Amino acid sequence: MNAFEWANASSVDNAVKLLKPADAKADPDEMPHAVAGGQDLLTTMKAYIVRPPRVVNLKTIQGLDQIKSDGRGGLKIGATATISDIEENAEIKSKFTGLAEAAASIATPQIRHLGTVGGNLCQRPRCWYFRLETVQCKKKGGDTCYAESGQNKYNAIFNTGPSNIVHPSDLAPMLVALGATLTIAGPDGSRTIPVQDFFIRPDQNVRKENILKDGEIVTEIQVPATTAKSTYLKFKERESLDFAMSSVAAVVELAPDKTVRKATLVLGGVASIPWRIAKAEQSLVGKPLSEQNVAQAAALALEGASPLEHNGYKVPLTQALVRRALNHLNA
Amino acid sequence: MATKTIKVPKMVNGAPTAEVEEIQVEDYGNQSWGPKDKHRLINTKIPRVDAPYKTTGTAQYTHDVRVPGMLHGRLVTSPYAHAKVTSIDTDKAMKIDGVKKILAIIEPGGEIYHEGQPVVAVAATTPEIAEDVARAVVVKYEVLPHVITAEDAMKPGVQPLIPARGRGGGRGGNSQGTAEQVDAALKNCDAVVEVEYRTPILHHCCLETHSCVSDFRGEQSATVYVSTQGTFTIPAEAARELGVPVTGVVQHMGGGFGSKLAGIGIAGQWATRLSKQTNTPVKLVLTRREEFLTSGNGPGSVQKFKAGASKDGVLVALNATQYSMPGIGNGNIAAQPYQYKAQNVYRQAITLATHEDGAVPMRAPGHPQACFAMESLMDELAYKIGMDPVEFRKKNVTDVAWHRQLDTGAKAIGWDKRNLTPGAAKGPLVRGMGCAIGAWGGGGGAGSQVDITIGQDGSVSVAVGSQDIGTGTRTYVRAIVAEELGLEMTDVQEKIGNSMYGNSSGSGGSRTTASLAPALKDAAYNARVALSKIVAPLIGADPDAVWFDNRYIMGNGKAISWKQSCAALPTAGLAARGAFQAPLAGQGAHGASFAEVEVDIETGHVRVTKMCHVQDGGLIMNRLAVESQINGGMIQSIGMALYEGRVMDAELGVMINPAFNDYKLPGAMEIPELIPIIDDGDTRDVVIGIAEPGNIPGCGAIANAVYNACGVRVRETPITPDKILNGLMQMRRVNA
Repeated sequence: MNAFEWANASSVDNAVKLLKPADAKADPDEMPHAVAGGQDLLTTMKAYIVRPPRVVNLKTIQGLDQIKSDGRGGLKIGATATISDIEENAEIKSKFTGLAEAAASIATPQIRHLGTVGGNLCQRPRCWYFRLETVQCKKKGGDTCYAESGQNKYNAIFNTGPSNIVHPSDLAPMLVALGATLTIAGPDGSRTIPVQDFFIRPDQNVRKENILKDGEIVTEIQVPATTAKSTYLKFKERESLDFAMSSVAAVVELAPDKTVRKATLVLGGVASIPWRIAKAEQSLVGKPLSEQNVAQAAALALEGASPLEHNGYKVPLTQALVRRALNHLNA
Repeated sequence: MATKTIKVPKMVNGAPTAEVEEIQVEDYGNQSWGPKDKHRLINTKIPRVDAPYKTTGTAQYTHDVRVPGMLHGRLVTSPYAHAKVTSIDTDKAMKIDGVKKILAIIEPGGEIYHEGQPVVAVAATTPEIAEDVARAVVVKYEVLPHVITAEDAMKPGVQPLIPARGRGGGRGGNSQGTAEQVDAALKNCDAVVEVEYRTPILHHCCLETHSCVSDFRGEQSATVYVSTQGTFTIPAEAARELGVPVTGVVQHMGGGFGSKLAGIGIAGQWATRLSKQTNTPVKLVLTRREEFLTSGNGPGSVQKFKAGASKDGVLVALNATQYSMPGIGNGNIAAQPYQYKAQNVYRQAITLATHEDGAVPMRAPGHPQACFAMESLMDELAYKIGMDPVEFRKKNVTDVAWHRQLDTGAKAIGWDKRNLTPGAAKGPLVRGMGCAIGAWGGGGGAGSQVDITIGQDGSVSVAVGSQDIGTGTRTYVRAIVAEELGLEMTDVQEKIGNSMYGNSSGSGGSRTTASLAPALKDAAYNARVALSKIVAPLIGADPDAVWFDNRYIMGNGKAISWKQSCAALPTAGLAARGAFQAPLAGQGAHGASFAEVEVDIETGHVRVTKMCHVQDGGLIMNRLAVESQINGGMIQSIGMALYEGRVMDAELGVMINPAFNDYKLPGAMEIPELIPIIDDGDTRDVVIGIAEPGNIPGCGAIANAVYNACGVRVRETPITPDKILNGLMQMRRVNA
């Protein structure tokens, strides 16, 4: 990797100051960069995909790694809490089961011990072509999406162009499904937005996967209280260590008569952002999770999918995952 | 062999008593190991002697070697599959603080034949600076058209594009008939199958990448450390670069699998040259990406078959076209019909050159590819004629050893409980079983020289330069000598992995143990005879009538302890030498694999639930090491069957998964219940190498189990979820 300056941030404000780019017009991949666990950043730096002149360590900010109750049954998760912290947290396991499941599905124990929640949301795509230093794809400022006509087995089936990446985060679909919000701190102060609005599609900005502007960082994720049951079902080609070929985050609130009061379904591994499937959600409201209703929701979930040459299998795969997630929550 | 009657004191709790008894012993000399079941150490389960060092991290690999003042080498490699180097500009790179040397590997005008081909080598004071220097070298290329896919490579006129190494485009065959004879025979078959099987290029994936430390300081000799499968390739190859006598060291190795058979390799070649030109030690370690792109691989294959069987289970005819895809290298696929006999065979073997790094030997070269295809074909025929796949195989194998092994494996896996109708189970989780067989040579050969030194203090050291590529050489070096001299494992010290010791062969073709063990036995026998001559008079015994056991030398009703015996040696101790003894080694290893899998027919996920491999190997040196070797083979075959394969972008001409995140090796969660079975029905009392065969039939067995479970026949590895789901969708369309 390129030589870079290392800076330990003493506070959120200090981090924001340290992240201020010297040259505001520099390439987006050559801006100062925040690091916490470093599990994704280092892989991109070693491949010269991201080339920050300065790396700002957020782990030295006291209290940013805390998981706390919001006093109303919800959670406040500091951005530098590790994936393991989520996976092992007793309250999350019992009340936000899907979030603990999503955390447990990520990478390996070693990576989960270092990787952080904020880093997981901000990680870069795993598309083969994006990860090759020698290939200048659209996401890196080039003019071709090589996956479109090349090897696209792992790419998106809900495509907006001009890039066909899938978002690699497992926490993201689950947090969206749980209606979570996140707080961003930056030079202009801080703001809190729905996690759903954090992610952007390549047709909005092909160089980025989220709305963070230069000098901004994620500081906290808020998960509202819920009585609904949740689950995260991830399909990996290799169980030991893999990103999602497809995944589904499901949150379902059942009435006493076992009909659906509210359902939220978000897909991972199939689109450039956590892919919410509102039509499928609505189809379930007021109905029991019968085999037929579940199958109908699964079919609706994949409506509009336009697979590339090598990833048509993701359609039946994802339908199966949607059915299984809903059946699991009905059990 | 001589039967001897020896008077010995009765031993109680390992110590001699005054009571004398007569024992009958068999002295097998140095031309026979004696019966397999009569050994004290060999053919038992012996824990690896180097396990503590490896598990605690103190074992020194070439990656760990650091010598004072050493520089770090780095390569500049081609980003293109086919190009001409037009210019190399080092101005900027030479200005970097810490740069010591930049040398061109391909001069301007030279041609590049694959992505990752080394173009420039640099040396600098730290690995980081070396990387900066390498990146600052500006190489300009004229990009030329490349050939990547089998389809493109098969086009007429394409092959001459690749003259590198002069090996592309070869043709061969081993026909036992003409195509016409085979066609005629196929017309009379009850079942005919016409199919094509494919396997991608595979990678060795050694955890220790190719590496070298060339410790040369402009003086009159040098020491060169290389991660190589041949310790004795180092002195000559390194001396060619350094111009002085070289001692080669291979202390521990982080995997080879055939990729480190090419002497000192790229890392060695450029580390020594940089070292020579700077008069300074240089360390060069290939990056993981370079390891994928330029350290060799196992060839891909396309195998087209037309085959027929009669309904009583005879393989009647086979027309096979076997394309090997070894990039710009050489690499054959083992000849079909592999380990089966067919009445009529017509075979063509064609090498397809592509603009990819050249193939090198990879664990059981050419066999897993041939086996997967032939065993899938045998399975398809067995189902077509409605015969139990095990029975069909037994009817057509070339050696009865497989009858025994197929029966043993079938019992271990629970073959009688297998699914009888592929694809019939409702699911979503469906189970199936499959089997396959394989064979390997594993013979030994002359060339090893073993030196044993016994000191006055009773110490025993065994010196032979052989590398231990991880299979457990150190352990049997000790065991053979300790057993011969009546000692324990801890009494013997092994000195290996250094060209200062006696010669030994490279570790290729599963030949190390079969070559080295006979020489060890010979040396130990010679040491025993020499020591007998010195010690026997001390107890008034005839040197031919003494016995070594329990750390004692016994005869004439007396016993003298090992330590006391050795105290009688001259100051220099006793030296004995051994060489290869042909009667102690054999060849011809047979194996059979069985796999049970669970297929999720809604997601396409395949999980191997249980796997068994039965392997013969004559006299086993260390049963624990062999079981471990078989387990490793099964795991590697799981990788080939379900996860591994080089993925190329045909348009760009580049490998798009040159990293462990994307070239997927099986991890802990992918490992099923493994049942390694040593075939003790093999009565051969000779040493046979079994390093490679455990890896051969597993892939075919898994592919067949997948079919048995879900009814989808995947004819191209790796068998990934997309292929299963696509197969199931196609089946539903056909059935609808």
